[in-house]
Amino acid sequence: MRDFLLNNVSPFPAKPDANGHAAVHIAPVSAGFVIHVLGNGAPDESGLTKVLGDIAPDLGGGLRSPSPGQWFWVGDCDISQGRFAEIAGHMPAEFALSDQTHGRVRIMLSGAKVRDVLIKGTMVDLADDVFAVGASAMTMIGHIGAMITRTDVECFEIMVLRSFAESLWHELDQMAAEFNQPHGI
Amino acid sequence: MSSLVKCPHCGSRPREEFTVRGEVATPRPVAGADESIWFDHVYLRDNPRGQHREYWHHSGGCRRWLVLDRNTVTHETSNVVDASTLKAEGRA
Ligand SMILES: [Zn+2]
Repeated sequence: MRDFLLNNVSPFPAKPDANGHAAVHIAPVSAGFVIHVLGNGAPDESGLTKVLGDIAPDLGGGLRSPSPGQWFWVGDCDISQGRFAEIAGHMPAEFALSDQTHGRVRIMLSGAKVRDVLIKGTMVDLADDVFAVGASAMTMIGHIGAMITRTDVECFEIMVLRSFAESLWHELDQMAAEFNQPHGI
Repeated sequence: MSSLVKCPHCGSRPREEFTVRGEVATPRPVAGADESIWFDHVYLRDNPRGQHREYWHHSGGCRRWLVLDRNTVTHETSNVVDASTLKAEGRA
C-alpha cells in the first residue's frame, strides 16, 4: 500500500462552459472514482458485480471492460483513500484493484449532435442498434486513447488518461465547433 | 491496405489502433542448437508473397497480443486470434 496521498486535481479549464456549444455540451466530471479491476484467471463480470455490491453496496457505479478480465469500476461518489484500502482488502484473491481516480478523468458529451461530433474522431460504430446505452469501447479519438461509454441516448462519457485530457478536450471542442451558434443550428 | 481488423475482443477496428510486431517465427530451437539455426530464428525473416502469419498488438484497444493472417498482396487480414491461444496449443 502506498504511504502518500494522491491528489485528484481537475485538468480541465476553470470555466468549462466557455466551451459550450449549441447542440453539443462538453462537461468535465470532477467528482467520483475510477478503479481499475484486474482479474486473474477467467473471472466473469456478474461475479465481480456481486462481489463489489457485497463489499461496497453504497457506492454503486458501473463496470466498463477495456480488455478481457479487466474492468474500470466507475462511480460518482468520492472515495477516501482509507475507504479504497478497505475495499481492496476485502476483495477475493482473483481480483486486484488499482485506484486510478487521479490518473483517468472523465468528460461528458451530450446533446442532439453528440454522435456527429464523436464520429469525427473515432471509428467505433455508435449506431443505436450497435452501441446501445450502457455499451463501452476502449478505442482512440484521433491519436489519443480513450474509453467511450454511452450513458444515455444522447450522452457519452469519455475517459482519458489525465495528461491527455486537456489535449482531448481541445480536440472535442474543435470537433464540436461547427455546432457553435449561429451557424450550427 | 485493408483498414479494418477484426479483434476477437473488440470487434472491427481501424488498422491505426494496432501495432504490427512481425511474423510468427517458427518454433523456438532447442537451447543447444547450432548457432546458425539460432541466427536464422532470431534475425532472418522470409518475405513471402501471399498469406503471412503475424503478431499484432491491439495497442489502441484491448492491449492484447493477437495473431492473424495478412495477405501481403492485398493486405486483407483474417483468422485473428488472441496470442494466448498459441501458448495454450503449445505453438509459441
Ligand atoms: Zn482488441
